[in-house]
Amino acid sequence: MLSVEAIASSVASGFLLGGILALTALGLSIVLGVMRLVNLAHGVFLVAGAYLAFFLLQATGIDPIIALIPIGAAIAIAALPVQRFLLEPLAKFGPEAPMMTTFGLAIVLENLFVLYFSADTRSIERDYATVPLALGLVSVPLVYVIGFVISVCAIVAVHFVISRTAFGRDLRASAVDPSAAAAVGVDVRRVHALTFALGAACAAAGGTLIGIIFSFTPASGANYLLTDFAIVVLGGMGNIFGTLIGGILLGVLQSLAGITLGDGYRDLVGLVLFLSVLAVRPQGLFGGHTA
Amino acid sequence: MTQERVSLQRGLHGIEQLGGLLIAALFAIGALVPNLLSDYALLIGFRLMLYIVLAEAWNLLAGYCGLVSLGSASFVGIGAYVLVGLLNQTGVPVPVAVLIAGLAGAALSAAVSPAVFRLRGLYFTVGTLALGEALRLLMINVPWFGGATGLFLRADWPSSAELYRYVLALLILTELVISVGAHSRLSTLMRAVRDDEDAAAQVGVRAFRVKLGTFMVASLLMSAAGALQAYKLTAVEPYGMFGLQWSVDVLAMVIIGGIGLRYGPVIGAVFVVLLGELLADYPELHVAITGVILIVLIRFAPKGLAGVAERTVNLFGRRVAGAHSV
Amino acid sequence: MIDDTSLVGESSGAFIVEVRGLTKRYAGVTAADNVNLAISRGEVFGIIGPNGAGKSTLVGLIGGAVKPSSGTIIYAGEDITALPAAERARRGIGRTYQIPRPFLDMTVAENLAVALYSASPLISARVAGDEVKAMLMRTGLAGEGHLMARNLPLLRRKRLEVARALMLKPRLLLLDEVGAGLVDAEVTELIELIHSLDDGETSIVIVEHVIRIVRECCRRLAVLHTGAKFAEGSTAEILADKDVASIYLGTGHGSDRTLPHKPRASSTQRPMVSEPPSKTLLQLAGVTAGYGQARVLTGVDFDVRPGEAVAILGTNGAGKTTLANTISGMVRATSGSIHFDGRDVTELPSHVRVRHGIAHCMEGRRIFPTLTVEENLLIAARSIDSGTRQQRLDEIYRLFPALHSRRGNSGTSLSGGEQQMLAIGRSLMSGPKLVIFDEISLGLAPIMMDRLYEALFQLRRRGLTMLIIEQDVDRALDLADRACVLERGRLALFGSATEIRSDRNLRRLYFGEAG
Repeated sequence: MLSVEAIASSVASGFLLGGILALTALGLSIVLGVMRLVNLAHGVFLVAGAYLAFFLLQATGIDPIIALIPIGAAIAIAALPVQRFLLEPLAKFGPEAPMMTTFGLAIVLENLFVLYFSADTRSIERDYATVPLALGLVSVPLVYVIGFVISVCAIVAVHFVISRTAFGRDLRASAVDPSAAAAVGVDVRRVHALTFALGAACAAAGGTLIGIIFSFTPASGANYLLTDFAIVVLGGMGNIFGTLIGGILLGVLQSLAGITLGDGYRDLVGLVLFLSVLAVRPQGLFGGHTA
Repeated sequence: MTQERVSLQRGLHGIEQLGGLLIAALFAIGALVPNLLSDYALLIGFRLMLYIVLAEAWNLLAGYCGLVSLGSASFVGIGAYVLVGLLNQTGVPVPVAVLIAGLAGAALSAAVSPAVFRLRGLYFTVGTLALGEALRLLMINVPWFGGATGLFLRADWPSSAELYRYVLALLILTELVISVGAHSRLSTLMRAVRDDEDAAAQVGVRAFRVKLGTFMVASLLMSAAGALQAYKLTAVEPYGMFGLQWSVDVLAMVIIGGIGLRYGPVIGAVFVVLLGELLADYPELHVAITGVILIVLIRFAPKGLAGVAERTVNLFGRRVAGAHSV
Repeated sequence: MIDDTSLVGESSGAFIVEVRGLTKRYAGVTAADNVNLAISRGEVFGIIGPNGAGKSTLVGLIGGAVKPSSGTIIYAGEDITALPAAERARRGIGRTYQIPRPFLDMTVAENLAVALYSASPLISARVAGDEVKAMLMRTGLAGEGHLMARNLPLLRRKRLEVARALMLKPRLLLLDEVGAGLVDAEVTELIELIHSLDDGETSIVIVEHVIRIVRECCRRLAVLHTGAKFAEGSTAEILADKDVASIYLGTGHGSDRTLPHKPRASSTQRPMVSEPPSKTLLQLAGVTAGYGQARVLTGVDFDVRPGEAVAILGTNGAGKTTLANTISGMVRATSGSIHFDGRDVTELPSHVRVRHGIAHCMEGRRIFPTLTVEENLLIAARSIDSGTRQQRLDEIYRLFPALHSRRGNSGTSLSGGEQQMLAIGRSLMSGPKLVIFDEISLGLAPIMMDRLYEALFQLRRRGLTMLIIEQDVDRALDLADRACVLERGRLALFGSATEIRSDRNLRRLYFGEAG
């Protein structure tokens, strides 16, 4: 039987990891909430961030955590033409066409990653990645704490933008009634473009953190895509703090599954939870809509 | 104009009938062929026919009934594992095992349908994706099914000719089923549900039953195909049989070929298998190019290659008819 | 108020459908309010009422598309309140939709076949084909069975919908605004069709705005107003009733209506422009517009001068809101041109037109529920410095003090009247040169309407150019300098408010000969 300390540490780690996952899920949530777009390429944006951080570190020695914002910005800028030229023109064809396009994009990018970066497993090697932090009973990896703090800060920042700024107003209005929003002067196309870019930035930032904590391959994106969907559905589509709580909940559940059933069950638990919530309460535990 | 339209319709119908005859002829040749071709060619034929089965099944589900599923892997995998398990544990003949594998898939679809059908549109799609992945992870972790290493077939291994004949039989069955599905009153009900589920309910269509029936038939076919694939590989493991590539390939085939069109799946399967053979040494490039083609087609030719063909025939027909009517 | 149920069914077993205490509440809106109705077998029953009265909701409740909040529905002696729509259809309830919903990627014949297969699943293919052909003939679609529903124009889609519902061999047929957008000849055909269905066995409920259909087909009518049953009785009684007329026309002849101040002649408020102005603020030339297949406006020529108030009147379906949407850019004109303040805005999207000075106070208010009251106001104040923004905000709060106290609350937590104030305030925040007020009195009590119109009078005194779309003809003509009347997408009358008010055609346009 595991000691209390081991269980507590595991749960605490799960808690922190969940917070980090929430950052990766945030982008998906916003895009789904505002644009009703199921972005199946979300996972590759995440992995793209990780690769960018990896090569940036290799080339310049700049620590990825310091470079987090520029990395996010770079991926965001790369995402803008995707939205503008691939997705925007499809808006009139109904919701499946853009989703299928993101699917196509995902498989293209994933395989380009393999071609150019090889399928090797990579990890962003940092000293602090392995250092444990002891907080009384529990011991958690230091990097989890750092990642959690960054994640929460980012989530709070996004929440601030959405609830306090003019852009956030435009975003919330476009989410709920795009033609009325246009009629009061909101450039809805621009809002969509920026929202998509913001989603990509969050994914890339989260991916960077994941890359430091864990290893990644070009195929990791699909994995996190599903985990993130689980978080979005749990927390309520478009609900910022709901996403955070959903992530933490998932992280804790995954930890518990890991220590009781075995490591291989971590992801499975997430998916089972996802399917159950989808079946029983699709609007999430906390209700949806960017609020 | 009406006159042209009518003769055009008759023309297209004629092409359909001709196409049907052609396929029947191919089947007849196909049955005789194994004795004439090399192993390699037989296996290509196997792959092509298997893919056509999968594409037809998915087209029935997504194209005719509007249920866009990204969980094809679930059913391919179930069929695969059931077949190997059956052949290992019991002495049932292969066709029976394939049938049971198919029924297992149908049973799975029936079991999950109350949950997934609550989900409309995009949520359904994501739900099926999650289902496929969940099953894969389950198979990796649960030791009774061999865990990550999977299971090996302990019964007699099949020859290429044998495999070829089995898949040909499955293909013939599939085409029959799809033809019935596409031209029967069931097709009318399915497409009504696809076009507008609420309006369909308002004219008395029990949408849940229609969706369930379609789902079960499609799953049965996909699982039977998965069973044959397992028989060919003589081994099953989670990554191969429940892996996402099945869902990707099936979707790509149907969208490239033309979703909701009768000949879309065949055209798409031929295209994808051909492309695969051409780029056999460059698997990543193959998938990447498939993705690009997908994106381009969705944007510029949403009805796929079959749709483009139809449009060309229409245009040509109109020009011919126009020349006559002057 | 008439509530004459003396003509109701000879014996109570003769009812095909009974609705008791039927209520439907959405967030903040009661779409159906404790409605009681009983329709006899073989009866042709009409339901009329002004926009937003809840007529379509009632159809949805009976047909099964909408679940009631409370109440019961009894059909042929069976309580069907909990029965899903498909089962109701199989028991013989057929309905059409206000905006037709055919199965777009199927042919006309297939559309009919769907209904037939539900009603008779084992029917032989040959018999099915014959029945479909017969129905196509009956509903004027002969020879069109092979056409794709997607390619049908609006009017044919309506016929398809009726045909499709008829394939169910319904005992109760619900026709939801089938007459909208039809020209006289087509209305005649429709009436003939309805008469042919009137066989003493099939009950038909007709929800309509086209009074002619109601008059020629229905024996009894019910009038709905803000979700509740306002009146019921024989067709002749209802159409002649003054109270009914007042809720439609707002003629102000109702005895319980008092307006605190009613400046009759607009000339007492501001000087009438004595010579023709050299500049128009808004000019429409030959504008044609519509939604998808439907062409709603045809060849509209129209102009508004600076500082003017122009009323846009007309029956429902005449195109008033479409005109407003075309001017503000929510709907793109398919031909013609729109000039605003010297600029050609025909191709510009709505948010750019807002920048140029057009504001649209939309029908149904369209308040953003995820924004607070103040945020709803602020979102419309774009690219102006904070000083001006605060100034405008203060002005709005002065105009509508109720908004100030609720400014932190969610936009839709306000009452209907307050939401309307918010919508008006929002349209003013952009500092517009022209404001379009679309049906601001919808669903509001007369007292609230008074308050809103007071505000509008104030704005007009300050020189704001405005377009007022209004069902309440009296109020609109009090406020306006000029008025135009739309009929089936065309300009039927255009002149000064006083001219229009005394024009006898006006009443005819709204109410047919019963006026």
